[in-house]
Amino acid sequence: MKERWLRDHLLSIFLVVSVFIVLAGLTEGPRDDAAVAREQTVRPYLELDFLDLGNPLHRALFKESLALYYPREPGRADSILRAIDAHHQEQFTTEALKAGAQQRGFTVAKLKRLAPMYLQFALVYAIVLALITYGAQTLGTYRFVRTKQRRLPPFAEFLRRLGGLGRERGWRNGPRGLVESLSPLIQSLAKVVAYAVLFAPAYVVAYSLKTRFETEGYLFMVTLAVVSNGLLVTYANKFYTFLVHEDRRGYVETARVKNLHASYAWNTPEGITPRSILMPRKRFPGHLLDHITMNAQFQYILTVKEQATFLITGLVIIEMALNIQGHFCYELMQNILYRDYEVVLAIIVALFVLVKATDIAVDAFFRHESLRLGSRMGGA
Amino acid sequence: MRTVGVAGRVPVASAPGREDIRWFLLWVGGMALLWLWDLLFLNRPAFLQIQEAFWNTLLGAALVVVFTLLLGWSSALGLYFLESRQQRLPYLSLTFLLNLIRSVPQMVGILAGYVVLTLLIEREIILSSGLHILWMAFVISLFTFLELSDVIRERIDFYRKSDFFDAMLCCGIREGRIINVDILWKNGLSHILHKLIATFGMAIFLQCSIDFIISVGLSTDVSLANFPRTLGSLLASLDSKQDILAISTLFSDVTYVGRLLTTHLQGVSVAFTIVYTLVCVYKITNGLVKRYGL
Repeated sequence: MKERWLRDHLLSIFLVVSVFIVLAGLTEGPRDDAAVAREQTVRPYLELDFLDLGNPLHRALFKESLALYYPREPGRADSILRAIDAHHQEQFTTEALKAGAQQRGFTVAKLKRLAPMYLQFALVYAIVLALITYGAQTLGTYRFVRTKQRRLPPFAEFLRRLGGLGRERGWRNGPRGLVESLSPLIQSLAKVVAYAVLFAPAYVVAYSLKTRFETEGYLFMVTLAVVSNGLLVTYANKFYTFLVHEDRRGYVETARVKNLHASYAWNTPEGITPRSILMPRKRFPGHLLDHITMNAQFQYILTVKEQATFLITGLVIIEMALNIQGHFCYELMQNILYRDYEVVLAIIVALFVLVKATDIAVDAFFRHESLRLGSRMGGA
Repeated sequence: MRTVGVAGRVPVASAPGREDIRWFLLWVGGMALLWLWDLLFLNRPAFLQIQEAFWNTLLGAALVVVFTLLLGWSSALGLYFLESRQQRLPYLSLTFLLNLIRSVPQMVGILAGYVVLTLLIEREIILSSGLHILWMAFVISLFTFLELSDVIRERIDFYRKSDFFDAMLCCGIREGRIINVDILWKNGLSHILHKLIATFGMAIFLQCSIDFIISVGLSTDVSLANFPRTLGSLLASLDSKQDILAISTLFSDVTYVGRLLTTHLQGVSVAFTIVYTLVCVYKITNGLVKRYGL
């Protein structure tokens, strides 16, 4: 069946959502019956504006009035007073009530409040996903070209120049030689800083910059999600691996025999330009790399699904760890705190649907590309 | 080189390009230097806290690796045998269960596991810190084992197509032995080891992140104070947060680096340990990929 993949995805969404709905029904559980009964008992008395039970005189008068009203139940006045006191105490001590979580369960009001947050979250997610895909392919291609250029790592290059072993001047050859010797050291220091940022968990980067930048804005959040948590570097490495695998294939040798450009030197007629690496489509006409990149990009499409799941984890970490109020995952954290599991499950389902929507989009794009490349090969 | 498999040879430590071993040694060296630096410049209580957090985190991550191995191996083999023996209903049920776990974002699932841990502590079912770490590791491994399971299944499928599988079956060797010993142990160990090391890094990242997130507390009775100290929870402490905040001073005053490495040492040491460990794990896995051509 042609559209079986779509049916499988929709079935999976249906099944998982059903499981979560059943779980939500199970977690709803019994309300605190004692608290409900107490509230019903004390509500008429709480509505008496003139009564201030903190005032001993009011308290004594209230107790006497109740004793007159319920002459056959001498303990009734005391029990009502105790219930009122317990109700007042609850308003001050219950964590959820203090933080404004009076209404439990997944209500329409909560849905209205969460919907815009979800849309914002989905938008940020889509932007970050696109940026990471672009960044991973760009960094992966750059690393591949650098490897092909067979250049020494910056620190090894620095040591080589320091010793004056290469053609370049060493530090002994005056100030210009010294600057030339130091530039790989600066490069390697920049690499260390880049590694520190790329691998640092988002909250470490955010707290390091908190006093200098506005860390609660969307721009900062998007930047943080792209560069931290090791996402970019992991997927750049993955794309690099695809490039290396493609480079070992037979068609590369065939293309070389057919006189396609094979030089990886920067800005030479037979080489490649850094600008073409930075372009989103990454085309290198007449060069081996054009075919290698195209095939690696095709393989990378399915990796986006895996990337999406990790990205969701990264965004959840950012929104929760930075306690950004009014954000979707902050609400998730708050509702876990209030033990409002219906809302928690609804948020998890929403996140699952987002991942599944990405899966469907990726599979559709993969099919489209397969057909396109297949027809191109068939036509050749 | 020593022969370790039926279908091929796997080079051992004598092979060129031992980048993985070099980075492992760099990690050990870096940690030893940091320990020495902290011993000289950090106050004694903070030093002991960092030590405790470091070992707890390492122990937690190692336990995650063990649980991941057990769960990944058994789920992959379970799926394989259910499929090959055409037991459709159990196979579909297990696949659905695994897909259900896959569908929950890792961080959300782990958070749910911590909520359960909180309830268990509140009801005084889990009391010792050893059990805390065991539970935390188990919960994290529930959301990391699927990757290993996929790798194991991919290895089995890859070798099942080759002639040696049928040849060994014809020789009367049990299918279980061929898969466990000849495919996974002799010919798939490098792939499994690579995935387990990556899982170790992932476990440290997830554990630190979750501990940092729950620094706000998941209940009025249970907070980070009731949990065993880890690098994440230590980073979430007020002292460490202030130390991390101080890093931004470097933007206006580069000379502040001296004070940062002596006065704000607790937070900086913890952050360095986390980031440096993650970098080294990444480099070690890359080294393994190069060495074994994975």
